[in-house]
Amino acid sequence: MITDLFSATVLIGILASGIRLATPYLYAAIGETFGQKSGVLNLGVEGQMLLGCFAAFYVALTTGNLWLGLLAAMVVGALMGLAMAYVTVNLQAQQGISGIGFYLFGLGMSELLFQRLMGTVETVKGFPKLSIPVLSGIPGVGEIFFNQNILVYGAYLLVPLAWFVLNKTTLGLKIRSVGENPDAADSLGVSVARVRYFTIILGGTLSGIAGASLSIALLNVFQQNMTSGLGFIAVALVYFGAWRPFGVLGGALLFSMVNSLQLWIQVLGIPVPSDIAVMMPYVLTILVLVATVSRVRAPSALTKPFEREN
Amino acid sequence: MLKGRLSGFVFQLLAFVLALVFVSLILIAAKASPMEAYKNMITGSVGSMRKFAEVLVTFVPLLLVTAGLLITFSAGLWNIGVEGQIVLGAIGTAWVFRQFVDSTLPAGLIITLAIFGGMAFGALWASFAGALKTFGGVNEIFGGLGLNFVSTALTLYLIFGPWKREGVASMSGTEPFPDHFSLPQLPDLRISLWALGIALVGVVIVYFILQGTYFGLKLKAVGKNFRAAYLLGIPTWQYSMYSFLICGALAGAAGAIQVAAVYHRLIPSISSGYGYLGLMVAMLINYQAVWAIPVALFFAALNIGSIQLPIVMKLDSSLAGVLQGVLVLFVLLMEGVRQKFVKKA
Repeated sequence: MITDLFSATVLIGILASGIRLATPYLYAAIGETFGQKSGVLNLGVEGQMLLGCFAAFYVALTTGNLWLGLLAAMVVGALMGLAMAYVTVNLQAQQGISGIGFYLFGLGMSELLFQRLMGTVETVKGFPKLSIPVLSGIPGVGEIFFNQNILVYGAYLLVPLAWFVLNKTTLGLKIRSVGENPDAADSLGVSVARVRYFTIILGGTLSGIAGASLSIALLNVFQQNMTSGLGFIAVALVYFGAWRPFGVLGGALLFSMVNSLQLWIQVLGIPVPSDIAVMMPYVLTILVLVATVSRVRAPSALTKPFEREN
Repeated sequence: MLKGRLSGFVFQLLAFVLALVFVSLILIAAKASPMEAYKNMITGSVGSMRKFAEVLVTFVPLLLVTAGLLITFSAGLWNIGVEGQIVLGAIGTAWVFRQFVDSTLPAGLIITLAIFGGMAFGALWASFAGALKTFGGVNEIFGGLGLNFVSTALTLYLIFGPWKREGVASMSGTEPFPDHFSLPQLPDLRISLWALGIALVGVVIVYFILQGTYFGLKLKAVGKNFRAAYLLGIPTWQYSMYSFLICGALAGAAGAIQVAAVYHRLIPSISSGYGYLGLMVAMLINYQAVWAIPVALFFAALNIGSIQLPIVMKLDSSLAGVLQGVLVLFVLLMEGVRQKFVKKA
């Protein structure tokens, strides 16, 4: 019944899984925020996530060590980022195209490796729940916020950290200046190339973690194309969040909460027409899209390769 | 100029060879024989008439989408929402078919109406991205991504809601349309010459728009330098909208053919990723319409040729995607290298 939805246990369940489900969005979208702030649009997030997903899962499965799995995902993501940086910074290629190239590559490669190395769907025991002492004992709140796995905590810590780095440090100032006015930044002695290399590799690493969070912390399984568009949503979230880490957090939570609600509606067998439940996250997309119209301005140099004028 | 073109061609060829070498290395690392894989891909795509017909089935929507994207690229626009425009084309066609299920009108007329319906829906969807861009200041990449999600949602909604199959709705799609609603196909082959004809006409029209009309010239002016074009008195926002509409109509036609000639119903993943693939093709051919046909054909052959890999070699058919992705990246790489050469010379 619909009233089931408002019992305390269910509400807590919805909120707790909403918090959890925001994890991959957060890693990927915060990584993308860094890239876009420095003027680079990375449309290859989905591909980086998929390869990260697979790397984490495969390494965790074969070695039995989740941390090695996570490391593998980070390395794979960083390498994809490095390649992306070379193509977009040194070769000044069209960012959108190279991003889609990396997407196709990651999609195909993760499936190919899966088929070749595993062949069948297996499961791993993912990161266990890590209850924070004292705090997890608070009724309700404890279950929602302080009884999650470590990658979930990491994602939420990343948000203020990203805000701090972008707004309060010299590095952040360099990133923003390179994204707004690379010529001016260059003339002041900031290396546009180095800053962009840094942000793209960081973005790749975080996308790798985003993938790992799916395969070894949330779902604990690897399936072909298991991100199913999540990476592209992450790119859009950066826009919805107006290139601000806390804005991204808001967007990610909105998405994950609606997703969680939809899942619980199905689990409880509440007679809401399934088509409406399935559509909810998408309807939300339109609303957010309309609401953000003209409210925000992209970094001026976004998608523009930098070339020093002689 | 000729020398520039020649060197461009040489570098593209080199990129192709390097991509093959790179993928071969991946295959060797995965303990599979590259030669055998490539051989299987060739026989799997052009080994028999039946297989080549399958290649053409993939080629038709890809060519239409690529043709449409050439228009938006010329206008300097990144129409990543093309996936959604394909989907809406399919929805439009399915909608028209549903209106005429019990009609006694000649089938040819209904199919024609349905295809135009698909084109109209595709154009309408593209106009949303265009309006968000021109009136709302929403970058077309973000607007397009958002609209793509919405189009997926709309498809799911229709399949699980109003257009539900008798009995239980499922991911396998809506009830198939009656046989006479499909574009006539060649005997024993799945390809429809009508569909092929539509795609070829589409690309020829685009070629003429871009090469032979004043409209195309203005469109390119807008793409090259938006501000200068505006100052010269070209109504830039109108031209942006026109290009979205044309591209949407062509993508809609691709979706229409997916329904009228391939699946004969609406399925959840009706766009089959042709939008992203079309973006790749348009970029690979450096926005030159003449090359659209061979390159789209090649990409289609890769997709079909890889289908039998899992059965024959326990390799995944996703090898096609890897090869396409790598190919694009190496073309970008070689283009960058060439630029450096040109500058030095």
